[in-house]
Amino acid sequence: MIRIENISKDLGEFFLRDITLDINEGEYFVILGPTGAGKTILLETIAGIYHPDSGRILLSDNDITEVPPRERNIGMVYQDYTLFPFLTVEENIGFGLRSRKIGKGEIKRKVDELANLLDISHLSHRYPVTLSGGEQQKVAIARAIAIEPPILLLDEPLSALDSRTRDYLREELKRVKEEFGITMVHVTHDQTEALVLADRIAVMMQGRILQVGTPYEIFNKPLNKDLADFVGVENILSGVVRTNEDGVAEIEIEADVGRNIFAVSEYHAGDVVKVFLRPEEIILSGHKGDSTARNVIKGRINELQDVGPLTRVQMDTGRSERSELVVLITKRSRESLGLQIGDEVYATFKATSVHVVRG
Amino acid sequence: MLKELKASRIKIITILSCLLLAFFILVQIICVVTHTTLPALMTSLASREIQFAIKLSLTTAAISTILCIAISIPAAYALARYEFFGKSLINTLIDAPLALPPLVAGVGLLILFSTTSFGKTLAETGLVFVFTPLGIIIAQFFVNVPFMFRILRGTFQGINPRYEHVAETLGCTEAQAFWRVTLPMSKNGLMAGSVITWSKGIGEFGAALMLAGATTMKTETLPIAVYLNMSCGELDLAIAAATILIIISLVSLFVFERFGGFGRVF
Repeated sequence: MIRIENISKDLGEFFLRDITLDINEGEYFVILGPTGAGKTILLETIAGIYHPDSGRILLSDNDITEVPPRERNIGMVYQDYTLFPFLTVEENIGFGLRSRKIGKGEIKRKVDELANLLDISHLSHRYPVTLSGGEQQKVAIARAIAIEPPILLLDEPLSALDSRTRDYLREELKRVKEEFGITMVHVTHDQTEALVLADRIAVMMQGRILQVGTPYEIFNKPLNKDLADFVGVENILSGVVRTNEDGVAEIEIEADVGRNIFAVSEYHAGDVVKVFLRPEEIILSGHKGDSTARNVIKGRINELQDVGPLTRVQMDTGRSERSELVVLITKRSRESLGLQIGDEVYATFKATSVHVVRG
Repeated sequence: MLKELKASRIKIITILSCLLLAFFILVQIICVVTHTTLPALMTSLASREIQFAIKLSLTTAAISTILCIAISIPAAYALARYEFFGKSLINTLIDAPLALPPLVAGVGLLILFSTTSFGKTLAETGLVFVFTPLGIIIAQFFVNVPFMFRILRGTFQGINPRYEHVAETLGCTEAQAFWRVTLPMSKNGLMAGSVITWSKGIGEFGAALMLAGATTMKTETLPIAVYLNMSCGELDLAIAAATILIIISLVSLFVFERFGGFGRVF
């Protein structure tokens, strides 16, 4: 659908470095990255607002690098809505249709249909300044899809909204994608948003795309330490593979965590590796138990911290400072286990939950 | 207690200063408008000379305002949106007439149009600015264009370029995006700029005096009428002209504030 080939662009503070991406037709594609990664410029370059310094952009196999934005027929929605303040909701939605010399009756019919679909018909004659953030963003989405674009670019579309409106609009975006079969390219710094919406995710940092994959791959199998850190893999350990039997590696961890870690991995004895383990993949219990999981590590709780509905447990597993494991459990299991600082606990996790990369 | 007394003393002194200042301004205005009787004022207003001055002032100020708009829209847009070589120098230069005494600006214009080959060439094609109503327009334009320019520059800077970006993705060319989005969003700035430029044009004296001279019934705008009639003792006519200037200024001030102009000029 869209093929971005070796795009570079330098705008001083923000830049793109040799970006190559393939976005498939009908896909919900999320570009995830921290603030300042260059995500907005990438979208604006796809829209044609910026001309790349090098590289090219193909839309359905046609090179559109030199095509001006008005002829690309790509919809754009910004975080701050950018509704035209001097036009009513209805006139905003119809803006792109009026540029296309379509008859008045046809425009009216189309605008009404979209307003109905997004449940904003009752706002038709109001001016943007009188609308809530969520309502404004729905108008912006309606305005962008009115021109029937094959692709909709969304630049942090939910970031300025309160959490309830955000959840609701997230569902609306999914519905728009299903209903119109539009390919969505959605930029965000919010991992939950990426996880919930994306068919595939590209992680972008400092103007580069570092990894492209399914949400599972991005969050559980990051390619390197920076990516792991960014997607919330809190347990990052260095070690050396001691043996590998039938694809299960036994890894000796550099920091003393009490014992070796088993992981499903192709690395061989002697390989220096990094071990990634998401905190929610670990189960805590008060006794050793008889789980089938390969890894059981004993430790002592040295910090308990509530984060929303979850509790973040930090446990000391050995003698050095780097021998800490971070575990996320629900508040409920914290209560049923009666966890207190200083308690001795067992951390249990499967060999398939451990991701190993060369390090 | 002592502290409260102190605070209230400061309050009294500052408020008194305010009242004094406002009173001084009010007295000045009242002095002008009450100097003659109403019938005398009406007679003067109906005189051919004052009628001429009103018409000349209104037209020259309107034309110079249109010229200010025509050049300031593109110039202010360029300085608000683009980076280019010499930008800050150009910014300073365009603001310069604000600091220059209008009389000096008038001398400069007079020399430009009467002694240089540029001025002489223009005169040969029929564009004579020295001692003509055309000169009044040019003088008003030169002195007042920084006001229009500054207001529009501030207005354009305040409009996020993303509005134009969105318009372009919706099918507009760059020019259409400007025309259909940026310009309507600049409405208040344009109104405020036009009102202040026009009203300052009507009151323009120094530069116009130098370039266009003060010839009765030829280059006699309202301020020139005040000046000429005061000089030869025709107090009633001078006051009639001054009264109109006061009315125009007050109305303009009101309209200007209404469109929030002061925030943009300074």
